[in-house]
Amino acid sequence: MPEPTPDAAQTTTVAVGAGGLATADMVLNIGPQHPATHGVLRLRLTLDGERIVRAEPIIGYMHRGAEKLFEVRDYRQIIVLANRHDWLSAFGNELGVVLAVEEMLGMEVPERAVWLRTMLAELNRVLSHLMFLGSYPLELGAITPVFYAFREREELQAVMEEASGGRMHYMFNRVGGLKEDVPAGWLGRVDDAVQAVRRRLPDLESMLVGNEILTARTRGVGVLDVATVQQYGVSGPIARASGLDVDLRRDAPYLAYAELFGEDGPGRVVTRTAGDCLARLEVLLEQVHVSLDLVEHCLSVLGSMASGPVNQRLPKVLKVPEGETYVATENPLGFNGYYLVSRGDKTPWRLKLRSASFNNVQVLTELLPGTLVSDMVAILGSTFFVVGDVDK
Amino acid sequence: MNDETKRNGPTNKGLLPGILKGLATTAKTATRTTHTHEYPDVAPDLPPRSRGVIALLEENCTSCMLCARECPDWCIYIDSHKETVPATTEGGRDRQRNVLDNFSIDFSLCMYCGICIEVCPFDALFWSPQFEYAETDIRDLLHDKERLGGWMETVPPPPALDERAAEPAEVAAANKPARMPRGRAT
Repeated sequence: MPEPTPDAAQTTTVAVGAGGLATADMVLNIGPQHPATHGVLRLRLTLDGERIVRAEPIIGYMHRGAEKLFEVRDYRQIIVLANRHDWLSAFGNELGVVLAVEEMLGMEVPERAVWLRTMLAELNRVLSHLMFLGSYPLELGAITPVFYAFREREELQAVMEEASGGRMHYMFNRVGGLKEDVPAGWLGRVDDAVQAVRRRLPDLESMLVGNEILTARTRGVGVLDVATVQQYGVSGPIARASGLDVDLRRDAPYLAYAELFGEDGPGRVVTRTAGDCLARLEVLLEQVHVSLDLVEHCLSVLGSMASGPVNQRLPKVLKVPEGETYVATENPLGFNGYYLVSRGDKTPWRLKLRSASFNNVQVLTELLPGTLVSDMVAILGSTFFVVGDVDK
Repeated sequence: MNDETKRNGPTNKGLLPGILKGLATTAKTATRTTHTHEYPDVAPDLPPRSRGVIALLEENCTSCMLCARECPDWCIYIDSHKETVPATTEGGRDRQRNVLDNFSIDFSLCMYCGICIEVCPFDALFWSPQFEYAETDIRDLLHDKERLGGWMETVPPPPALDERAAEPAEVAAANKPARMPRGRAT
């Protein structure tokens, strides 16, 4: 055996002096094509052993230039594109566009359309939340909950499809109301679907609430404090899980939410204080119950309402007067805002999209450092984002 | 259960009650009948408004190009030519009419928004819930007017509207009193 060279001996001494093995930071790419990320979000992690030192979400792999495309589309064509960035909440996305245009036009929407829109938006919220309630355990290694989540999704999607014709991209909003009225007997079928989901939701909950493995993976993991939430403009269920009591449905009511979140309304804002992955999941689960309450209230209002139209007669060429407006709505994942600037043309001069997931995903820079790689998937999944909504 | 007790609630007591609860649900569900359909053998029950494929009623099309222009991604291709119809009466005037040569929709581009159907002033386009037209070659997704016409037989009648819906525009227009000639207004 050859004698160790003086150089090697020196290296060993230094390493021992530094308190263990000499380590170098490793850069690990998670994604853009990785089974642990949904969609094409790429994370560049700098690792010190198993511990994450730095995390940087690299976005844009699914950028489709939606904002630029809006500028060469009229307001009906914009709905087609707008409902696609967050494909889990198409109805909510359409809603922001038409609300902005209606505000600029000073257009009054028929009351029936307002309540139908509110109900459909809440059904869409339940659909989006159920998706994450199913997919998040899947990322943690629990395969079963997704089947229960999708059984309920299917129930609600059936009524959405019956009214709008679409299962994901509803295309049901129009400037001034809805595309057409709902089919006969549809309200009864919505009621049946909501009751069925309510009846069977305990099945899904039994897999999630109090499950020891899920709790062990999520409690105290990825704690997000309120200050960081506010710095990064995080919104929606993630912000509320950290104790930030903000919900545009209550704080800046649109549609019929002023009544729903009013004095005797069924609406309430779900918050948690822990700010960890478990809290985020709990907020989602409880919001499903709240949204189902809201749907039931909408059904009772719609059932006792005078008959009337669901849309306004529009001119052949719809031009929005010169000016600008910003309309923000509470999408399932957080604030979804449209900043509409019009120069009096039939297309917007600029339509800026403020999507919830974009801000929510940025906070990973703060959330991930200090955690272990094994917790990375749990944290990543609990920030509930849709890559299309990030990249626009 | 409030936030605090849930947080400190289940702990590892050996029996793992939370996991047992989940297993109980699985056992209970295993005894129930399935809620899924064996798709290729059992056709799905789709509502009439379902947006599966676009059907063309060629007789109604005047090749006005409205659908092609309003399509957000321009996936409708229309070619037509003008034909002269000779006058049918003595001293009459020859008429011109459009003849549709080509009407194709590229379903590899189509975003299934339904704007073409909405803007068609002559009811030549319809939604059909039919969806089984996947192809192995993307070029075969360009449906020509014969293929689009073939979908017509799968178009269902539109569903009746909710009892509280406003009366359809056609009914409202028919019930409106006829406009009086000028000067004889009552």
